[in-house]
This record gives sequence, structure tokens and C-alpha cells, in this order.
Amino acid sequence: MRAILAALVAAVLGLAVLPAPALAGNAIEKVEDSAAPAIPPAVDDGAEGAPASTLPIPTPVETPFFADAVAAGKLPPVAERLPRTPRVVDLPAMGRQTGRPGGTWRMLMSDQRDLRFMTVFSYTRLVVFDEKLRLTADILQSLDNQDDKVFTLHLRPGHRWSDGQPFTAEDFRYWWEDFANDKKLSPSGPPLALIANGKPPRFEVLDPETVRYTWDDPNPGFIPAIASANPTFIFMPAHYLKQFHAKYADKDELAKLVKAAKVSGWVALHERKSRQYRGDNPDLPTLDPWRNTTYAPAEQFRFERNPYFHRVDSAGHQLPYFDGTTLTLGTPTLIPAKTAAGDADIQARYLNFEDYTFLKAGEKVHNYSARLWEDGHGAFAALFPNLNAKDETWRNLNRDVRFRRALSLGINRADINNVLFFGLARVSADTVLPQSPLFKPELAEAYATYDVAKANALLDEVGLTKRDTDGTRLLPDGRRAEITVETSGDNQIYTDIMELVGSDWAKLGIRAYVHPSHLDIFRQRIASGSTVMSMDVGMDNAVPTAEFEPNALAPTQDSQYQWPEFGLYVQSSGSEGRPADMPEVKKLEELWQGWRRADNLAEQRAVWRDMLQLNADQVFAIGVVNGTRQPVVVSNRIKNVPETALWSFQPSSYFGLYMPDTFFYADSKG
Amino acid sequence: MLRYLVRRVLIMVPTLFVTSALIFTVMSAAPTNYFDNLVEEMQAQGEKVDQARIDFMKHEYGFDKPPVERYFWWVGGLLHGDFGYSFEYQLPVRQVVGDRVWLTILLSFSTIVFTWLVAFPIGIYSATHQYSWGDYGLTTIGLMGLAIPHFLLALIFLYFSNQWFGLSIGGLMDPKYFDAPMSWGKFTSILSHLWIPVVIIGTAGTGSMIRAVRANLLEELHKQYVVTARSKGLSPWRVLFKYPFRMSLNFFISDIGSILPSVISGGELVAIVLSLQTTGPLLIRALQSQDIYLAGSFLMLLSTLTVVGVLVSDVALAFLDPRIRLLGGSTK
Repeated sequence: MRAILAALVAAVLGLAVLPAPALAGNAIEKVEDSAAPAIPPAVDDGAEGAPASTLPIPTPVETPFFADAVAAGKLPPVAERLPRTPRVVDLPAMGRQTGRPGGTWRMLMSDQRDLRFMTVFSYTRLVVFDEKLRLTADILQSLDNQDDKVFTLHLRPGHRWSDGQPFTAEDFRYWWEDFANDKKLSPSGPPLALIANGKPPRFEVLDPETVRYTWDDPNPGFIPAIASANPTFIFMPAHYLKQFHAKYADKDELAKLVKAAKVSGWVALHERKSRQYRGDNPDLPTLDPWRNTTYAPAEQFRFERNPYFHRVDSAGHQLPYFDGTTLTLGTPTLIPAKTAAGDADIQARYLNFEDYTFLKAGEKVHNYSARLWEDGHGAFAALFPNLNAKDETWRNLNRDVRFRRALSLGINRADINNVLFFGLARVSADTVLPQSPLFKPELAEAYATYDVAKANALLDEVGLTKRDTDGTRLLPDGRRAEITVETSGDNQIYTDIMELVGSDWAKLGIRAYVHPSHLDIFRQRIASGSTVMSMDVGMDNAVPTAEFEPNALAPTQDSQYQWPEFGLYVQSSGSEGRPADMPEVKKLEELWQGWRRADNLAEQRAVWRDMLQLNADQVFAIGVVNGTRQPVVVSNRIKNVPETALWSFQPSSYFGLYMPDTFFYADSKG
Repeated sequence: MLRYLVRRVLIMVPTLFVTSALIFTVMSAAPTNYFDNLVEEMQAQGEKVDQARIDFMKHEYGFDKPPVERYFWWVGGLLHGDFGYSFEYQLPVRQVVGDRVWLTILLSFSTIVFTWLVAFPIGIYSATHQYSWGDYGLTTIGLMGLAIPHFLLALIFLYFSNQWFGLSIGGLMDPKYFDAPMSWGKFTSILSHLWIPVVIIGTAGTGSMIRAVRANLLEELHKQYVVTARSKGLSPWRVLFKYPFRMSLNFFISDIGSILPSVISGGELVAIVLSLQTTGPLLIRALQSQDIYLAGSFLMLLSTLTVVGVLVSDVALAFLDPRIRLLGGSTK
């Protein structure tokens, strides 16, 4: 239904959707009003948003990589490995080419922890967002949703884990009963995404391929949470993990396993073996396109194709196209150089905008192209006045909206864009990007124009009228108005941005200094109130639809730099931190609660609008620029990688939204 | 001699005990600990943080116990050859370090041999041809090696080895051999990559060693016994190597104490710049993330090697130089 409407709207407007994602957003908006729709079976119905119709399932073709194993009888043929109704990806309809299987995708990473990027890049979820940010069933065959209260999940019959064992309702039951509700394994109970109005759902297994979650109150956060780049997993490979669970395992066997792993008990062992997001246990069965085959520690991790992956292209090739990927670990600062020397096939992580010219220079020799994708943060750099600063004078100033507005008006953003980003970025406040259906130009323009006179007038109004001999304003307690803006030392360009901001602020009679420090010290100083102001990236998911939870716009976490203590209070349910004592911040908190209670998308969208408006008006974060560029290096032999796209964790899982399982080598060298 | 040895070995016990206490105190004194770091890291990477889970991990690794108890638990493990547990890798430290030790030893021994092969001939030449053009020229080159920062040299080498020889940037072998078992291809790949860090790390050591060889040798060359030997008609080579050269080696032997730990830790900075698979980067990363058992065990290993190294050089000196006698014990 949604898809049809989307197609109609797009057709009426007579616009191609893909090159202008903002318009795709409009299409989303129009269909959002239909309350709590069912998520249809997956179809990748192309750029035009064609009517949802299930594509015919093509006759599967055996993958050369597995041909020997199948011939030797070690692996069942492809037709038996696929679910009875695989997800058919219609590449031509998406404007992509049908590819050929083979080859290895080489990637450079710096740390063993980076293995999780395979889970992010793979973006295989129960339900996924597609390129137009519409929800589509992926692992699930379909999902029925009644008023955001009753969710019925239908699995694909015959779907298997990467080790060949069936993936069934038992995997959901095990997670719910034996993991999420086990006092030892989950001391704090089921994850927040499964709690609606303080209560967990009722869980039922209807048949081996159907499970149901029922809440008394609406739980709109459920679907976005399981479709997230970092999903709330609600299933686990039960057949594998039971050997580590005291309820199922033989006592002596378990004791032996615990001893061999050198851990304190079965709980720790289960924890270690079951981390699906981290991708660090090669024995843990997965549903992702590639599975890890390397035990840590190692310098290079190899992932191999999952023989039971549930997606096929319309020609009958089982996806993914790449037989494997390798993650080679090394010093992060060397990664741009290694990439330019042709050591990676598709690479974006650890490349920065300032590497672009250098990467461009290596294009011809090493046969790759250096593309520029758009950064998906609400601001590449934003200033966060700490409303919980210990210094009373500064805290009072930070809490004065006129002061925040004056600082924002006093930044010459166009200059910063031209000097540091060659004019490629966008002058904007910290808010959603134009690609989001929730975008309004007023949000981006709010207090983001350069107006020294107005800024000075505001500062005079605040009462900072006395000045030192060099024109620096004096604080009410007689100190000079000198702000030390702290940054985490990882990002050199913040120092450059602050140099320019500082010279702009000097015209307002305010001196600014920048102080980079190590990430953990940086965060700790903010949390303890030692920091008056900090600089970091702005909104994390700046291309949201109303279906995403607006938790970044209200105090919800202690890691929010503008109100760490208010955030901690909400996060710890009132046991730590302090409650918000500013009416505007309180209002944001209430609005956010309202989103969690909302039972239809129209209501949720209204909440988003109000929260964005309030944030823009109050300038809790002073955005400098957004829409900066992320270099993405792609070998010329590889096809189907978008020329330009959004580079973000949420909502696009970096490469995930563009389906790396459909990237392929055009030549046969592999 | 035996008494002396026993006494020295016994002194090592309290020395190492104090060292371990110092290491543990300094590492625990940091305002944050590994779990705070973990939370930051997880948040930065978009992972959800569950305080109950963090508390569980703290309990699991004994971080809810008082520091003194944790210290004895760690030291107790060390005595059993158990280097503790790396939080970061979630593996026993021994397993994390693994193959890296062998590559590090290979790199360090090659570097030491390189340094000797270059420094000794140059030092001897400079001493015997004092104030000649050759002396000035060679020592200048040596001093330049000492003066240029390692990491800068490493970056320059990195660029040109890739441009001219097509070597993969950084690392001790081609990435395709990372997990492969040892083979001829892997071996040659290691050799073709090894010379870069060897030369880079070696240059600094070479500079100072040339100076030391030259100075020590010069001092001996002007002594009476050398003049006597010469006047009695011994060949110049014989004169040089039989006495003054041997005497000038004292400094070199007493340096063994620092060679042993450097075999394990050699050239951390260069290893990071060049992305080498040695133990150096591991240690630095462990210190950064406050993976205290991994870092602590490393530092303990280095301290132990230093103490053993000093003992070895003292004993070796006693054998080498007849003027050195063990008077300490007998006179008191």
C-alpha cells in the first residue's frame, strides 16, 4: 500500500526519485499517515517505486565457489540451501547491473574491534530500510503490525543458519526465555526497545515459522530498533548456544568448556560466544552474507560467503557476489597511503577529506576511483555549551538562550566552508539534512547567518557590557570572557575550525582557545562539568523519518555533551545525575516520552517537528557546517557501488543500505 | 663467584617485587579504567551500553575487589607463568602476544647485528685514522643518523620503497602471508620488508656506537703497552685486535643489560609508523586502552630482562677484563 502511494506521488510530481533523495522523502511523508502498516514481503522494486508485487523466484544457479563441495556431497545444492522463498533482489529495477559471483573484497582496518563493521556493512536484519528509507522485510518473509501493539513475525520457510541448521521460532524463544529473561545472562532484563510504558511484551510461538510479540501500549520503537545499523537482536542460534547454557548443557561438559576458555563461569562463556554484533566468534552461526573464518588474534581476518544466505538476484545467482572479504589490520594513519597504493578494493573508513587530493593522484596508476559521498551527520562540527558546567558564571551564561544565539550568529560559516572544505560543505545549524522528510529550511538557517551587530547586541543584553583594555568582554565576576573549547584529539580539523571560530568571536569580544585531549579524558571532563564548551560531530542520524526515535534531541544519555547530567538522570531512571531544571529541556524530555507513547506516525511526526523546532530555536548545539564529503575509494573493476550516496552510521549502516552483497567484479580475475 | 651469583639473584627478587608494585600503582592511578574506556568506545561506535553488563564484566575480571587484592592476584599469576588476561582481546595475554614475539626477536637481532656490522669497522677506522677526512666524513654520517627522527626516516623509506620497489606499504610481510604458515614465499617476503625497519632503527644505534668505539679505542691506543707492543715489532693488526680493541669492548659488554629488553621492545615508534607485526604497537595500544594486565605483564617482562641482562653483563665483564675483580663481598 505504502509503496503504491509512494509510486503515485513520485509519478504525479514527475520526478526521478534517486538523484534527489529529499524528494524520496516527500514520498515517504505522504504515506506515513496510514497508521502502523504491515511490512510487505521484500521486493526491491526499483527507483520508480513500482507496485509491490512478489517477483517470480528464479531457478537457482550454483555458485562456482561451492561447486566442488556440492559435487563432493559436502554441501547440499543451492536449491536446497536457499529458503523456499528467498529474497529476490531485482537489480535492473534498482538501476544496477546483474553481476557475477567471485573475487575477494580487500579492506583495511586498524583494530580487532573493527570486525563489527562487517555486521554493519552487511546490513542483514529482520526488517531493513531500503535506499528510500522504506521498511522492507529482509530475513523475515513478512511482518504484520496491528497498531504498533501486536507484531507477528513470519520467517522464511527453510531458512538456515550459516552452519546449515534450520533458523526457526526456537531461535526467538531461546533469546526471549533463556537469554533476555534469564536473571544471570541479562541482569537488567530485556533491552529497552522491548519495553513499552515500563512493561515487556507477551511472547508467543504460533508455529515453527511464526512468532508474535504483544504489548498493551504501543511500542513504535520496536521496528526501528531491529532495523537499526546496530540492531537489537531478538534471536540467537539456539542450537549452537545451548551447549554454553547451564539449563541445557551437560554439567561436566560445560565445566570443561569454561575451564578451556579461562573464564569465571558459564555466564561469561555464553556472553563471549554469543556476540552477534561483534563478529569475533568464527563458530557462531550467522545469517549475514559473509561469515568470519579467522580466530583472534590475527593480523588479517578472512570472511567467507555464507552458503545459506537468503538473497538471490533475478538471474538466480545466490548473493553475495563476492566470495569473501579480508580485513587487514594496521596503523590507522597508514591506511590512506595503503589505499592509494591499491591495497584496498573498497575503502572509506579511516579516510578523511584531507586525504582526497592524495587519493585522487593515485587513481590512474592503481585503477581505482576516489568518490566523494556526503557525510550524514547533522553537523560535521558543532559546539556544545555545557549546561551542567561546574563553573557557575559560565553555566549561567550557557543557560541563557541569548548567549547561545549570539555565539551562533557570530560565526562566519561561509568562510570556514570556503577555507577548509573548498566550499563543498553546507552552511547550516545542527539539524536534519535536506534528504530527510522532516527537513525545513528554517531549521538549517536558524541563527546560522553571520550577523556581528545582532550578536553584539545580544551579548550587551545579557549584561556583558564591560570590556577589558583590548576589547575583551568581562564576565559578571570580573574575569575576561575566555572560553576553552575542548575537542577529542582524534580530529585535527577541529583545531583548524576553532582557529577560525575564535577569530570570529574575537569580534564579539570573546576569546576562544582550543584544547584537544584523549577521547576518554575528553568525555569524562564533560560529564564531570569541568568543560565549559566542547566541539564534536552533531546529530548522529540526520536523515531520519518519523519512524526513528528522536532520542538525540532530548536528554537521554550521559554521553550528550550539552546536558550530560540531565541525560544521565533519564538514562539511569533517576538514580544518578540530576533532573532537567530548565523548562525548554524538560519540554524536550516530555516530547520524547510522547513519541514513545504515540500510536501513529502522524503523531510521531508532530513530535519530531516540535523537537526539531525547539532545538533550532534554543541552539543547544551550535552547528558550524554539514554536508561535508567522505572519500570512498572503489576499484574500477567493481560495479554497483553508487557514485555518490550518504555516508552515515544511522540510517544507512555506511555501505549497508547500498547492499554490498550486490557489489561485484566485472572481470573474471577476481 | 658462586656466592656472588647467588647474592645477585637473591637481590633480583625484591627488585622485581618493587618494580611490579610500582607498575601496578602507576597503571591503577589513572583517573579512568579499562571499563570506562570500553563504555566510551562502545558509545562512539554505536553499540548500546548496558550498565548491568559493564558491572558484570567488572565483577568477572575482579574489578570490584580492592586494588591490593587485584595486585596479588596478578603477581601470583605471573609467578605461575600466567601473564593474566587481556580485556581488549578477551584472551590470555600469552595468546595475544603469540607470534609477535618471534617477529620482534627477528627484527631486533637483525638490527643489533646490522648496528655492529656497520659501527665496528667505522669506529675502528675513525680511531686509527683520527682527524682524517674519512674520520670526519663517516662520523658525520653516523651523527646524522642519530639526529634524524626515526619516524621521519620511516615515512621517507615507506614512500620510496613503494615507489621504487613496489613493496606493500608497512608491515613485515605482504598481507597475503599474514595467516599463512611459513613458506619460502613468506620467508622472502619477510626478508624484503625487514631491511627497512632494520636500517631505520639501526641508524641511530650506529651513530652512538661509532662514537663509543672510537672514543674507547682512542684512549687505549695511546697507552704505554700499545707503544711497547709496536716497538717490539708486532704487526699493526695484531697490536690493534689483541689488546686495545679487546679493552675497548668493556662498554659494549656492559651494554648487554639494555640489549636484552630491547630485543623484545625494539623500536616501538617505528613499528607503529611502519605498522609492523611486532610487540611494540601491542604494548602502546594496551597502555592507551588501559588493558592493564597486558601492559603490566609486558613491562614486567622488560624489567626482568633488564635485571637479567645487567647480571649477564657483569659476569661477562669479570671474565673478559682481568682488572675487574669481585671485591665487594670479600672486603666487607
